[in-house]
Amino acid sequence: MGPYDLLPRFKAQYDANNQEFSLSGVVRPQAIDELGPSIALLRDAIGRVRGVLYVNVRRLTQMNSAAFHAFSRIIIDACRARPDLKFVVITSSVVGWTSRKFGRLSGIEPNITVEEYDSQFYPGQGFLEEGAFVPILRTQTKMTWRHERAILPRHGMRPGIVMADICCGIGDFAVLVQKEFQPSRIVALDHSMSSLSYARRVMKEFDIRGIEYTYGDASEMLLDEAQFDLVTCRHSLQIFNRPELILKELYRICKPGGRVYITNEKNSHCLGEPRAESIRWTYNEVAKLFRHFEMDVELGPKSRRYLVEAGFEDIHVESFMVTNLDGDPQDFADVIMAWADVYAGEMATRRGDGPEFIARFRQGFQDHIFAALHPKGYAGWPIWVASGQRPQ
Amino acid sequence: MMGAVKFSISEVMAPPGLISTEQGNMPMGPVQYDLRGEPTFEPMIQVDMEIKAFVSAWKHCDYVSTYMARMIGQNRSDSVRHSNLFSSAFNELLEVAFRTRLADGELACRVSRHGATDRIELTFPCLPGERQFYQEALSQVAGFEAKERYLNSVSGDLAPSREIVLLELAVDYNATLWVEEADGDAIKLVVDLPLEGL
Repeated sequence: MGPYDLLPRFKAQYDANNQEFSLSGVVRPQAIDELGPSIALLRDAIGRVRGVLYVNVRRLTQMNSAAFHAFSRIIIDACRARPDLKFVVITSSVVGWTSRKFGRLSGIEPNITVEEYDSQFYPGQGFLEEGAFVPILRTQTKMTWRHERAILPRHGMRPGIVMADICCGIGDFAVLVQKEFQPSRIVALDHSMSSLSYARRVMKEFDIRGIEYTYGDASEMLLDEAQFDLVTCRHSLQIFNRPELILKELYRICKPGGRVYITNEKNSHCLGEPRAESIRWTYNEVAKLFRHFEMDVELGPKSRRYLVEAGFEDIHVESFMVTNLDGDPQDFADVIMAWADVYAGEMATRRGDGPEFIARFRQGFQDHIFAALHPKGYAGWPIWVASGQRPQ
Repeated sequence: MMGAVKFSISEVMAPPGLISTEQGNMPMGPVQYDLRGEPTFEPMIQVDMEIKAFVSAWKHCDYVSTYMARMIGQNRSDSVRHSNLFSSAFNELLEVAFRTRLADGELACRVSRHGATDRIELTFPCLPGERQFYQEALSQVAGFEAKERYLNSVSGDLAPSREIVLLELAVDYNATLWVEEADGDAIKLVVDLPLEGL
């Protein structure tokens, strides 16, 4: 028996609380009998539920025709036997065939609807992925790269490795890594089609080789397990409402002995002189604002705990401060201005903040810019870097 | 073990990490035509094995489709997504070949590419009666009522027939399928998959 035979190929589960039957993995049986327990579970679920049964196939990476027919028949038969029952099939925009294949079912039975799970399910992140934000993301990466290029080798970066950059955004970090460290392969994944399209355009224009940009959901990736020497995930755990799910996936795709590298902020520790008080107040409010949208921009110092709880060992944590003295102070000021526009703009408005609060909130950003551009001023943005090794 | 398996990876297939930008970024690729004006499909990879070895275990369909999908996905615009789609479609074809009634001879899986289209040529032993079956089945795949017949099968049949499996490739993957002559007691199924557009 080879290792192939020992791997569980697929899993069927029923969650009674959510009335959700889910199928995940690779379902390619030779005979329908092999699906016996899963089909019995689905039948049982249908017998128990009232109103709606959710059929979640988001993590179903492969399913052959025989299995598709078998499960479909049960759902279609149930629609005919119980007109009171509705089925909602949740597919993934990442797995290309699922929406097309399962989408056919709604044409057969009107009580079956098919919904595609995509980035809209992460409500907060839309603020940070608008096209206008791209130049700022590039400037941010330029500012952090000055530090990270020296830090990365301490966390497993070296030439020739196979690496993944998860939540790669517009791909600028992957490009910098490719140029500086020459890994043999970089897979860069993000769930924003517009960011990936930008990244591919840059790669083509600058004739960059060796980066594969792929569309995917960081919490449920199509990537095979244990294939990367280094997995990076920068400034992203802090904007997911359940960072532990992402870490679980980062762990899964990392080779045993390989490392996972994460960077995160603690926004309330942004600082500046002069006008320190106003700056401190505003960044404390930034943390609260993100918390309102289920994002934790205070995550940086919690990285160690997250890595330990995800099963990593040999954990290294360090921090660095991006300041107005790194390169052009105007870059620092531009980034703060962009933050002000989004945080004191759409986000604060969406939370329902009044004009008085917004004016004070915005003032702190302006004071941070003032500190950054002041000939005797100092302005800082702290970042926490952490990495852990997947046990051998 | 799969028994005697021969792999042949063409020069146009760059290994991971050595992907040419031209292929990595331009899914449409450089388009070439032969003297008759037919598009030229450049070979990507070929896997040959004895049919006896292939049909000795069902999981070989999954092995072969997954392996070849990984290889040819590397220089598509989204390698992971493309591999998943390709594996999904190719596995169905291999499962069809697995059910051949003539277990003597060779299975040949060849993948070539023209721009956004990947072509699978699957040659496997088959009895004359089966060849007739495939020819008839594929002539109906092109029919305008193909989708309706596919939906009727999903709602009515306990398991899909081989004809329905081929029909599904046309309906769900926009595949174009046909049969070509093969030497001896064998059949060659040819499937064009425009997966980049899905």
